[in-house]
Amino acid sequence: MNMNNSNKSFNLKAIRNINLIFIFLMFIIGFFVIRLFYIQVIRYSYYKQSALNDQLVQSKIPATRGLIEAHDGNQIIPIVLNQELFTVYADPSLVKNVNNMADKLVGVLGGSKSKIVTLANTKNTRYVVLAKKISQSQSDKILGFHIPGLGTIGQDYRVYPQGDLVSQTLGFVGDNSKGSYGLEQSMNSQLSGKPGYLKAITDINGVPLAASKNNINISPVNGKNIVLTIDVAIQKQLQEIIQNAAQSEKSPLISAVIMDPNSGAIKAIANYPTYNPSDYSSVTNQNIFTNAAVSNSIEPGSTLKVFTASAALNQGVIKQNTTYYDPSHWLIDGFNITNIEEDGGSGIKSVEDVLNLSLNTGATWMLMQMGGGQINLKAREAWYNYMTNHFRFGKITGLDQGYESGGIVPKPDIPFQSGDQQNLAYANTSFGQGLSVSALQMDSALSSVINGGTYYKPYLVDGTTDSQGNIAYNKPTIVNRDVVNAGTTKSIIALMQQVVSKHYQSGFTYLNFPSNYIVGGKTGTAQVPDPKGGYTDNIFNGTYIGFVGGNKPQYAIAIFVTTPTVSGYAGSYGAQPIFGNIVHMLINESYVSPIGN
Amino acid sequence: MTYSSSLSVNRQSYTKRNQNAVSFRSREKVLGPVSNTIILVVLACLLGLLYLTQVVKTQSYGNKVFALQQQQSQLQNQHQNLEVSSAQLQSLDRVQNSPVSKSLASVTPSTTINN
Repeated sequence: MNMNNSNKSFNLKAIRNINLIFIFLMFIIGFFVIRLFYIQVIRYSYYKQSALNDQLVQSKIPATRGLIEAHDGNQIIPIVLNQELFTVYADPSLVKNVNNMADKLVGVLGGSKSKIVTLANTKNTRYVVLAKKISQSQSDKILGFHIPGLGTIGQDYRVYPQGDLVSQTLGFVGDNSKGSYGLEQSMNSQLSGKPGYLKAITDINGVPLAASKNNINISPVNGKNIVLTIDVAIQKQLQEIIQNAAQSEKSPLISAVIMDPNSGAIKAIANYPTYNPSDYSSVTNQNIFTNAAVSNSIEPGSTLKVFTASAALNQGVIKQNTTYYDPSHWLIDGFNITNIEEDGGSGIKSVEDVLNLSLNTGATWMLMQMGGGQINLKAREAWYNYMTNHFRFGKITGLDQGYESGGIVPKPDIPFQSGDQQNLAYANTSFGQGLSVSALQMDSALSSVINGGTYYKPYLVDGTTDSQGNIAYNKPTIVNRDVVNAGTTKSIIALMQQVVSKHYQSGFTYLNFPSNYIVGGKTGTAQVPDPKGGYTDNIFNGTYIGFVGGNKPQYAIAIFVTTPTVSGYAGSYGAQPIFGNIVHMLINESYVSPIGN
Repeated sequence: MTYSSSLSVNRQSYTKRNQNAVSFRSREKVLGPVSNTIILVVLACLLGLLYLTQVVKTQSYGNKVFALQQQQSQLQNQHQNLEVSSAQLQSLDRVQNSPVSKSLASVTPSTTINN
């Protein structure tokens, strides 16, 4: 009986214990169920997002910026490339031993240890840049240290193997990957391409899971590679010529353009001073970034007489062999228009004399002929029409460059400035004062006059290359086929050749060009406007326009020299020597086909 | 032997005591619910296994593609660096300043002397 009772109590106790364990287990299970319910149902969105943050990669895939290439004789060579360089960064909160890290970095990068230590000890930030633009091998060495909190990020940078060659025409690419100035700015959308997009769930190693149906991978469209019309050898030598001239003539700015007059293709375009685009951040004067040959308009002076003569010849109001009586001064609107001292005084003069002796009175006489013998509205309108519609002064050319200047041409029926006498203002324009043009405009207009009368839009981009390296060339764009007629072209070429020949005979011995080439030109010395009004008496700009060729002109050249310090006229002694050097270079290095070839 | 006696002899050889002479065995075999469940579970497992093998296979291809893309990217970088080096080595400044270039004598072409 006792045995039975004790068994019974044992069983009851066991059952009670089992129940307690069961209740305890149920409590635990219940806890987990509630916890899981809380995590999976109530905090569903939070944890889903949290998981996605760890697993989901969303990023833009940068497009490769297009290369810029140029001609080198018959070859095409790259002048702007891309190179992946690396930025070294650190998260100061994760770097345990700053001194050790700095020692290792100095071993790879060189430089100052203290600077690295200072940067790495920066408070309240989790990202400091320790070095920029390091190479792939340096980056690999740094990553090989496996220092927590230290890393590198790759980024494409523009590389300029030719240094400062054609830099102002190219422009540069800033840290924001946007082009600034020059072609990099004007063709930014074509060069930069279209970035791709990646959205993918990744594994723990960051590898996208191939089986994830929501992955998005849009490949980037790389930027176009462009080929310039520039010939690097001509460009290089042009830069050297104007650099030497700027230093010897103490000119603060020289610009020059060499163009193919039969297509508008620019073979070389340069300014001095210039800069190296790979080191653009060290430039303190931002004016150096602009392509002055395109953006800087000045009063060109007597080089404009070529266009006055062209307009008068083309209208038929003068002929190449016309002579006239030149009184050596004209009184217009109460002001005397005179010549320089070496004009030979009053007397019978020819059209050739007007250009050779650079007679302001002769240019004024040509303008008078457009008005039937005097400067009047008819003369002004005719001349204005030629300046703006034929030679396209006062209008931008549309070259692929930022900040192009269209220049200023006074209206024929509205005073240029308050108080201006229009006839006087227009007489001034006939010899290149009172209007402003850029070197590019002058070269484009000269090209149209000497090529038979076709105004080609000047261009720098010869074509684009595909991934196979095939080039799709651009065709020259004709703006106006009737700038002048063939007879005018013939006369102007002959007149400009005479100018060079006479200058050579008068002592400019460097104009000794071989007889199997045609070389023509015209100097210009322009007074510089005084900010207080009128013109300064002792500061002049020198300009020159000219051509060289064989059977026909093959290169049209325009040169602007700002306020050179020379003992003589700025045109003859500042700009003309540059022209001489350029033509010798082009002939000596066989860029020009002689007569008969 | 009569026909009936012969039948009786034949039956004797097949039948035993307390055994029915005729059995009604059902020829239709039907799986029970347990078997069905097991089979379904096995099939589900097989399908799951199949899915997993395909996913793993796809992911392994994904890994290979990723590795190849990485390799392609590295090769493109190397190519880019070589292009830059090549262009720098052929740059006009470098050629101009090379010892060979410096040792060249400047000669004015004879054609420029005669005018």
